[in-house]
Amino acid sequence: MRRSSRHSPRRSSQLGGIARRDLLRLGFGSLALGASGNLERSPFWAQAAAATQEGRILVVVELSGGNDGLNTVVPYADDAYYRARPRIGIKPERLRKLDQHFGFQSTMAGFERLYKDGHLAIVHGVGYDQPSFSHFASMAFWQTAAPNRGELYGWLGRAADAMDPAGHANYIVNIDTQQSLAVRSRVHVPLVFDDPQKFTRTGFAEEAAALKTIASRGQAENEAQAFMLGVSRSALDAEQLVRDAWAKYRTPIDYGLVRFGLERVAALIAADFPTRIYYVAYRNNAFDTHVYQGDVHARLWTYTSDHIAAFMRDVARLGRGKEVVLLAFSEFGRRVKENTSRGTDHGTAGPAFVIGAPVIGGQYGKMPSLTDLEDGNLKYTTDYRRIYATLARTWMGHRDTDGLLRGNFEPLPLLEA
Amino acid sequence: MAEPTTHWADDLTPITAADWSFERAAHLLERAGFGGTPEDIARLAAMPPQQAVAALVDYHTTGNDHLPAFERSDIWDPSLRDFPVSRVAATERAEKTGEAMGVRVKPAGERRLQPVVDRFFYWLRATVLETRRLAHWWVDRMVATNRPLQEKMALFWHGHFATGEEKIRDYRKMEQQLALFHRHATGSFRALLIDVARDPAMLAYLDAAQNVKGAPNENFAREVMELFTMGVGNYSEQDIREAARAFTGWIDDDLAFRLDVAKHDDGQKAFLRRNGNFDGVDILSIILEQPVTAEFIAGKLYRFFVREDPSPALQTKLGALLRDNDYQVAPLLRTLFLSRDFYSASSFGTRIKGPIELIVSTYRKLGIKRLPGIPDLHVVSRELGQILLNPPTVAGWAQGRAWITPGLLLARGNFARDVLFPDIINFTDPNFNPGREVKRVNDRILAGMEIAVATTEDTPGEAGGMSGGMEGGERTMANVIAGAEDFNTRYGSLVGWQEAMRRIKPIPRAAAQFDLAAMVLTADAKTAADAVDHLLMRLLRVPVDAEVRRVLIDVLERKLGTTELAHAATYLERPLRLVAHLIMSAPQFQLC
Repeated sequence: MRRSSRHSPRRSSQLGGIARRDLLRLGFGSLALGASGNLERSPFWAQAAAATQEGRILVVVELSGGNDGLNTVVPYADDAYYRARPRIGIKPERLRKLDQHFGFQSTMAGFERLYKDGHLAIVHGVGYDQPSFSHFASMAFWQTAAPNRGELYGWLGRAADAMDPAGHANYIVNIDTQQSLAVRSRVHVPLVFDDPQKFTRTGFAEEAAALKTIASRGQAENEAQAFMLGVSRSALDAEQLVRDAWAKYRTPIDYGLVRFGLERVAALIAADFPTRIYYVAYRNNAFDTHVYQGDVHARLWTYTSDHIAAFMRDVARLGRGKEVVLLAFSEFGRRVKENTSRGTDHGTAGPAFVIGAPVIGGQYGKMPSLTDLEDGNLKYTTDYRRIYATLARTWMGHRDTDGLLRGNFEPLPLLEA
Repeated sequence: MAEPTTHWADDLTPITAADWSFERAAHLLERAGFGGTPEDIARLAAMPPQQAVAALVDYHTTGNDHLPAFERSDIWDPSLRDFPVSRVAATERAEKTGEAMGVRVKPAGERRLQPVVDRFFYWLRATVLETRRLAHWWVDRMVATNRPLQEKMALFWHGHFATGEEKIRDYRKMEQQLALFHRHATGSFRALLIDVARDPAMLAYLDAAQNVKGAPNENFAREVMELFTMGVGNYSEQDIREAARAFTGWIDDDLAFRLDVAKHDDGQKAFLRRNGNFDGVDILSIILEQPVTAEFIAGKLYRFFVREDPSPALQTKLGALLRDNDYQVAPLLRTLFLSRDFYSASSFGTRIKGPIELIVSTYRKLGIKRLPGIPDLHVVSRELGQILLNPPTVAGWAQGRAWITPGLLLARGNFARDVLFPDIINFTDPNFNPGREVKRVNDRILAGMEIAVATTEDTPGEAGGMSGGMEGGERTMANVIAGAEDFNTRYGSLVGWQEAMRRIKPIPRAAAQFDLAAMVLTADAKTAADAVDHLLMRLLRVPVDAEVRRVLIDVLERKLGTTELAHAATYLERPLRLVAHLIMSAPQFQLC
């Protein structure tokens, strides 16, 4: 069943003739997923996977602010949705319908295309126990894969440390002005930049030549000094490499109105960067739609879905489509009921998206009930660390995801191994 | 000078007066404090090593009266007690009781809840801004103090018992917790641990209010073992659950600790192979009995002050030392700072300075006595990756290599430039900047727009024709809503910001005053090479190689137009600052 689906992603949402979604709806979600998940963990699969996973790239897109999942993948067949959202609920005729139950909001043409092509997996009801409603805390939980506890390093940083203990340069790239906690690593030195043209030291003209010498010269007397010199030299190289990659990069593809970083990722992929983990954020808490959210949220998804779809087209154009998988997530969803300002307040579970040519498109996990709520909030159905386990183990070939995630999280069968 | 010696590693034998030198005194001052001027180092170097270490560790007799107390802004009053956890909670409370945060709901008229929402946002912003002032005050203390080890330990405990204002939303609790760290800095870890467990900031940060009999919240119980005392692997999930029961009913009552007897579970607990009717203090005492606790704390102190990866044997030895002194920290530190291990080649020049250490040591090495207002501390610490009083998680900051990326290294060079060549022309006070969205609403309100219209979302200009249509649509909708809504959040945010900024005391904005020319000439430098050597000695603990030195001399000579300082004495300052900037951009400057 699993194997036959590998060649026809679009049929993968069929399990023995019954639509996966129907199984999920019937409450067999974890059962069905569990059965195929076990295959992944057999020694044969692990070996086969390890042999083929060099060079695979993971791109993580953070949608900061708490995306309103219910107005993203709209459960239009559920009356409870319209009852809870009489003013901001999106009418069925304004949706891009995926099936008899769900539709993307109308601005998500890019996602609709990816879904129809079988390259987009929706995971419903993603969250964790004892949810935090603070952007800061919940985002830190996602970034560290450690809900309701403290953790020094990011989950991607720890994954990189385990997969590449030697800490090769530029293994992790983070497009931002600040290093994300998600990529903070003990061994690796993530390359963090925002504007490729401004990724440089500020200095007066008369210092330029001297700065180069100073940044690169020295004899290391111990490991810490060797490390500092290494970073300093690679900062010089990295500045140049990034600027060159960006200067050389030309694409016919339109990345949309808000280019939040994936076009820079594509430029580095095109320049054959050795990077295996890219981290990009839609920044500034943009998805925090407390007031008059209708048009705002629609616009955010125009930009996001256009941008991600463009990136996928671009990597396919570069002949690298089979090497790239992208996760898009937000730190929490929003309350089911709309608020008095035609917006929504901080909530709990929401959908996450795994996208790419190697993805077995469809819907995974169980959609939480809109009526069986906890203090007005959805009860999550899939722990987000199951998605991490999927990406780390099935995609990146990380063997010890139990250690990485501090627990046993069953991968979802949404990727070809 | 005696060379740092390889075979001294792991040897806790105290060094002797014969081993003492300027370099070793400099090393001590960097690690036990934040470094200092050559004069500060010379003073320590002139003492026998025991006395030099005592001067830092036994600081209670050192005068420090010149340090100003924190001057609170007049922003808090008792109606802000039990501040609602969210805007939703604020308006719900107001609807239910007719009042919230001391503000009554309007009896009639439009936007009846607006004053309540304004009030909510006011405190949200005020406590954020006051927390920045508090961090500024603290770093100013680090720059100005005569007891640098006390500040360094407070910084250590803040990272260890990491608590953040973003969650607890009350700078007063952070201020009170900081006082705790200052008070117990090198004292008893036992006393500190118990005080922290009952500290309102920590209680709020780790959800004490949710930890009640019958429905325990395990947040604090887990962290106290995993992060604060033993480390993972030394207790079971069952131990966490039992400990959480013992901490039930411990709550923060504004700025005080209170035991809510009704919510406390006083039943039998089985914890770490012991049984009893334990309360929270009993749990902490049992934790402190575990040998692993002393090793965990001693090991963490060692890594902070000496170097990464102590050998297991050494860690056991240090743990025993801490436990034998009933968890008094000062004796352990005294042993460390006097040990051969501390001065061994393995320890020398191996520590990557954290951002706050970098900032403070930069100022102290330049002889600056007060924290400058330009560049802004908050902006710099954000760019370098360590915002005080807002650690990334309860685990604090990852030390060591995690402080550095290529971009962060460049940012450190940029900080140096901001100190040496402060860009006052482009400086604006970041505390007067509420962000783009609030500014936009402010401009529109000032231009006379209706609140509902002024607060609708902008459409991006590049959207062209589409945006025109959308905006029109939104305004119509907004006007329809305007009469009906109970409050407007964006307007509340604007009013909250304005009120907070009006009441917050300003941070004095002045650039650092210092005179490199005087420093170099006082040190008797005659040539450009002498000047470069003086600056290298003043700023670096890890030497640069000969080629770098040559380049620095070359830059200085070209800027001076001579090799003789005497000929250039009237225009020495800027060229010297250029050289200092280059030195501070070197990877070696990041180490001590």
